[in-house]
Amino acid sequence: MSTRDLLNMALRNLLKRKLRTFLTVLGVVIGTASIVVMVSIGIGMNESFARQLEDWGSLQVIDVYSPNGGGGHYMMEEEGSSGPQNKGKQVKLDGAAVDSFRQIAGVEAVSPIKSLYLMIGSGKLVADANFIGLDPATMEAMGYKIEDGRALSGEDVKAIVVGGGVEFYDPKLNWEMRMNSEPPEIELIGEKIDVTFDWGYGTRHADKSVKPFKFEVVGTMPADGNNGWSVIMPLKEVEKIEKAQKEWEKKSHGSSGGNNQKRSKEYEQVMVKVDDIKNVQVVQQQIKDMGYRASSLTDQLEAMKETTKMLRMVLGAIGAISLVVAAIGITNTMVMAIYERTREIGIMKVIGASLRDIKLLFLTEAAFIGFAGGIVGVGVSFVTSKLVNFVAMQHGSDMTSSIPLWLYLGSIAFATVIGVLSGYLPAKRAMKLSALTAIKTE
Amino acid sequence: MGRNVIRIKNVKKIYQMGKEKIQAVNGISLNIRQGEVCCLLGKSGSGKSTLLNLIAGLEKPSSGQIIFNKKHIERMNEDQLADFRQRYVGFVFQSYNLLPTLTAMENVTLPLIFKNVPLKERNERAMEMLTAVGLGDRAHHKPHEMSGGQQQRVSIARAFINSPQVVFADEPTGNLDTRTTYEMMDLITALASKNKQTLVIVTHDLELSDYADRIVMLSDGEVERIEDKRQAEGEKE
Ligand SMILES: Nc1ncnc2c1ncn2[C@@H]1O[C@H](COP(=O)(O)OP(=O)(O)O)[C@@H](O)[C@H]1O
Ligand SMILES: [Mg+2]
Repeated sequence: MSTRDLLNMALRNLLKRKLRTFLTVLGVVIGTASIVVMVSIGIGMNESFARQLEDWGSLQVIDVYSPNGGGGHYMMEEEGSSGPQNKGKQVKLDGAAVDSFRQIAGVEAVSPIKSLYLMIGSGKLVADANFIGLDPATMEAMGYKIEDGRALSGEDVKAIVVGGGVEFYDPKLNWEMRMNSEPPEIELIGEKIDVTFDWGYGTRHADKSVKPFKFEVVGTMPADGNNGWSVIMPLKEVEKIEKAQKEWEKKSHGSSGGNNQKRSKEYEQVMVKVDDIKNVQVVQQQIKDMGYRASSLTDQLEAMKETTKMLRMVLGAIGAISLVVAAIGITNTMVMAIYERTREIGIMKVIGASLRDIKLLFLTEAAFIGFAGGIVGVGVSFVTSKLVNFVAMQHGSDMTSSIPLWLYLGSIAFATVIGVLSGYLPAKRAMKLSALTAIKTE
Repeated sequence: MGRNVIRIKNVKKIYQMGKEKIQAVNGISLNIRQGEVCCLLGKSGSGKSTLLNLIAGLEKPSSGQIIFNKKHIERMNEDQLADFRQRYVGFVFQSYNLLPTLTAMENVTLPLIFKNVPLKERNERAMEMLTAVGLGDRAHHKPHEMSGGQQQRVSIARAFINSPQVVFADEPTGNLDTRTTYEMMDLITALASKNKQTLVIVTHDLELSDYADRIVMLSDGEVERIEDKRQAEGEKE
């Protein structure tokens, strides 16, 4: 029997019993829809974790710290960067290390990081902030979010990007007056501002011998982001300011501060940007294997996913159960069809249908039920998913439903396979019917 | 008449009904010749249908051999039997056995569908066949819209559409009135003789044996007597 005839005949047989076919398909619709919606809620959950973490920084960035000594001020640092495996070998987080990170497959950009706490002055106002020095060419790649203006670029020298959370105040006011007054609104972009390590800047305690460094603000970052209280500056400039600060300290305090100088140029931290979230853990492990400490937000993401794994599995199981019920429905319908069509099967066998034809006919009918149920079920899930998201939004809930294309196509395929599997037993039964007995039944 | 299409050698069929054994066919040997109309005649319960079903491969004999074109029917598995039926055999039953949801045309094309004949060709052949049995104008009627005689014509058209070597008919006129019975017998024998096809007809009606070249009289599962009405052409075996 040709495929076309097979499909045609199967479809006709199903349409002969419209109500029963409809009810059986309905079972598959409910099964498919519930499995898709449940899985989509699980996926939505993971996506919302990722979104939450994105506020903390890019999920594609790995922070690398020198194996010895502190450095790193992220809360997840303790768990994320378990100490170096090879304690004996002393690895240095220096230029050579940066180069070796660049060689790792999947690494898109690498930048050493140096942070320094400094003062900013703009007109009569000042602010203090954590300055992060990095390779300006990599700022965009590292996932720093820009609110206004632009990120630093490779050509930038005397340029900075300021976090929206950096609060300017009038240094002439005392602490109490400052708390009670509204923080002044200032437009920073395009401003030439002063950066200095002199904490007396702007007051009468200012050290006249310290010359402020001049910078232009080229952009701002959102206040609520991870870098809301930071200022981003080209690494070279941070190093210059640090050097000047050390010299000034030596001059004014005589001794001190020199012990860092002994080492060859080593960084406290290096940021490594990976091309895809999927590769982050692999790259991170490679860096750890080199003897460094490394952590990334994907550690958090994995941990969050792990804690909700059980919930997602339960959701999936609920969907799966409804599909199993639907599968039983298909089997039941097909078995009933065999009882009804015993004689018909016998006639077909006598006039030349092969066993394969009979089997395929029943399998095709069952597959049709699964396929139709899958298609409609996916449609229903689309609507349900939108509804879940709407309701979740109304309640300000984080729970969202997200259906990727593979889930749509996979579900239709899955429902069809379920149909075929459910039809297998009845098809086999139909095949085994004796033509003669079948023909004798009235 | 030609060579033997079917050779039956000491065939037995025993049904086990609880403790009781029923010898439906009790050691029959018989040859059926190419192109003849062979009539299996006997009282009800004499084993005619059982014998027919054994020859047609619808049932397995308890012992003995059934050789069709040198092939042992009794040794075939289900797949081989299906293939055998599709290639060589047509059936006409007492109760027509049409599929009620299909039109006359669709019923007639069904054997061709299983044989993978393209749509256009099989519709043409079905129409030809329906015209041959006098139902050209009823092609798109469903069985329940037709009389018993018309339904049997459809089933005859279906039996012949594949140009089978042998057509088996089990009481083909059992449900029909006398006049229709003769029409049906005329039709079926005319169709068979046109292409020199072999016809094996089971009946309990002595009058129908007029159509036969040979009459095999059965009684209690055994051959009682064979009457050759074409004696002139002689018997070789
Ligand atoms: N499937 C069966 N099971 C048990 N006994 C059967 C079966 N088919 C036929 N018989 C018995 O075999 C004998 C011959 O039956 P059958 O061949 O139908 O006779 P006929 O067609 O000549 O009327 C009868 O006694 C009948 O009861
Ligand atoms: Mg009978």
